[in-house]
Amino acid sequence: MEKTRRKMTPSQKSQAKWGLAFVAPTMIGLIVLNFYPIFNTVYQSFFKTGDFGMGNIFVGLQNYATVLKGGEFWSSLLNTFKYALIEVPFSVAFALLLAVFLNRKIACRGFYRTVFFLPMVAAPAAIAMVWRFLYNQQFGLINNVFHTTTAWISDPKIAWISLGVIGVWSVVGYNMILLIAGLQEIPHDYYEAAEIDGATGIKQFFRITIPLLSPTIFFILQTRIIGALQQFDLIFMMMDRSNPALPKTQTVVYYFYVNAFQYNNRGLGAAIVLCMLVLIMMITWVLQKTEKYWVFYN
Amino acid sequence: MKNMKVLLSVLLALVMVLGTTAAMAEGFSVDVLEVKIWDNNQLAGLQEIADEWTAKTGVKVNIQVVDWGNYWTLLEAGASGGDMPDVFWMHSNNAEMYMNAGKLLDLTDYIAASDVVNLENYYQGITDLYSKDGKNYAVAKDHDTIALLYNKALFDQYGVAYPADDWTWEDYKAAAEAITAASNGEVYGGACNTGNNQDTFYNIIYDFGGFVISDDKKTSGWNDPNTLKAFEFMGTLFNNAWAPQQMLAENGKDRLFLNKKIAMDTEGSWMISQFYNDDNHDDYAWAMLPYEDVNGNGQCDEGERVSIYNGLGWAASADVKDPAAAWSLIEWFSSKEMQLKQSELGVTMAGYIGCSDAFMNAFPGMDISAFLKMETEGTLVFRPYSKYTSRWEDQATSDLVAVWNDPSIMNDTLNRMAGDMNALLAQE
Repeated sequence: MEKTRRKMTPSQKSQAKWGLAFVAPTMIGLIVLNFYPIFNTVYQSFFKTGDFGMGNIFVGLQNYATVLKGGEFWSSLLNTFKYALIEVPFSVAFALLLAVFLNRKIACRGFYRTVFFLPMVAAPAAIAMVWRFLYNQQFGLINNVFHTTTAWISDPKIAWISLGVIGVWSVVGYNMILLIAGLQEIPHDYYEAAEIDGATGIKQFFRITIPLLSPTIFFILQTRIIGALQQFDLIFMMMDRSNPALPKTQTVVYYFYVNAFQYNNRGLGAAIVLCMLVLIMMITWVLQKTEKYWVFYN
Repeated sequence: MKNMKVLLSVLLALVMVLGTTAAMAEGFSVDVLEVKIWDNNQLAGLQEIADEWTAKTGVKVNIQVVDWGNYWTLLEAGASGGDMPDVFWMHSNNAEMYMNAGKLLDLTDYIAASDVVNLENYYQGITDLYSKDGKNYAVAKDHDTIALLYNKALFDQYGVAYPADDWTWEDYKAAAEAITAASNGEVYGGACNTGNNQDTFYNIIYDFGGFVISDDKKTSGWNDPNTLKAFEFMGTLFNNAWAPQQMLAENGKDRLFLNKKIAMDTEGSWMISQFYNDDNHDDYAWAMLPYEDVNGNGQCDEGERVSIYNGLGWAASADVKDPAAAWSLIEWFSSKEMQLKQSELGVTMAGYIGCSDAFMNAFPGMDISAFLKMETEGTLVFRPYSKYTSRWEDQATSDLVAVWNDPSIMNDTLNRMAGDMNALLAQE
């Protein structure tokens, strides 16, 4: 069969032009603000950057060697994983419970959903300031109301848990909304059939709700893991340089910020960020591979 | 009708010429200068001084405050992107970096041609800080010293004598321990966090004869024998005289002082207004920093009572649109009259030598003469700095946390810190 090159009709051309015109803003934004910086970061990671972008010296893989051989990257990574370990499972579990309860017809359902979603709307800096006041050892609200003297964010042993709690609190609402949407897609017939067969509420939950929610849960897990591994603002706003718990809570992005912006070592910062990128890509790839084992699509 | 048109156009032309000559009275090509600073406490006073300049020249001055944490990030972003403020403050931490990169306007010729600014009238240490290869890049704006703040009410409550001008650090320690013991740990004698370098532990280091960085900026003083002695002394202060470090991890020592958790607090002159404006300011008083009797002769000799001092400079961007206007504003701020006014308004102590006495009267009801006495009866040492000061300074702040919590690891930690700092200095 002959393959003829069909010329576009004038109306097709006009549509194509309008199509391009409409995606142009996003494309330009993507290229200027995302693609170009990514390439620039990769480029800078091979240099010892000079001040104000002048006088860069090529050093090859030295920045990567500093990152991977020095202990600080690995200890920051461990801290980041510890934080993600609290934030992701607990926020998903709580959100699931809340979603199931708030999907039923109870009074003031809309009000409860709004209240749980509110933390997502508050600015991270505002959240950090308020929680910093709550957790303050001498003057904080928690210690003064419950008459305790715990050093919530300056005791190296428990600071990471305190920060994880804030992480869970701020993200539960978002997960909950997504899960409610997922719940509403489950046909009632399954539940009716299960009731007829004599299944209890809990059995229904584990045998019907969770498997049918698994696409939503999979999406939330993936995005929350990526988000938790990039945690920075909480640590930056709540922990001072002289906080004894900082080495045990410093995350990778905090380590990157300190090097790139406070020490003006952009090359090293670029190397840190790219190592993190590779790591997150690997984790995402592993998660994608497990998809077919536990995620059921209709 | 034709005559009216001619008359109207002549009038309009006249108005235009008059209008432009008014704005270009000094020949400046801009209507507004953007100024950035980081201390909110100084804004009101500086705006008043700037407004007088505006009245003379017709150029508005827009002063913006960006807090210390973000000031340098913003300035650097502006420097890299070509959008710096016109006039701004320079600080010892970053001065060299900006001078080396040519981001500051070279003021040497302007200074030479000016009859208002004569560099001999300003503190030499500050002028040297902001010069490179014989060129000047900023004019000294102010200087600061450190003094000892104490709460008279707490001293009375626990029956301890007030700090005196002949106090040694041992006397300080005894008084602090007395207060801590008498109050059963409710109130500590004093406090110092690992980040309180300029206002506390740098002074102690130099009093003992140690140093932080060599004059050629190549060697660290962390493991100098006298520095080690100073840190050993500080190690004895924790828990019995000084509040435990963990208390300071979440609250600054100034906040602890205002909440009566500590009775003494070494503070710099830039912090005075914070204590002056507090409700309990009648209980607060200032004394000179104690000295360390190194030669054991029972009196304070040269070098035994040190106050670290620092001075900001007024600088202009190298790419400023109208260098003459920027220089005119800087010259105005640096003139003797305006430096005097800056002191009178209680903004800071002057960078112009001899203009700070008025500052002593800027806080009626609070005697702050201790700050000025530190200059005449003590030795001023310029705040330690290098090209990339924050790299090793922040590192020290983190490293010292473990030492503050466990003084037994002091020597090893300080030796390691010296090695790290020397490595960083070698890279500059």
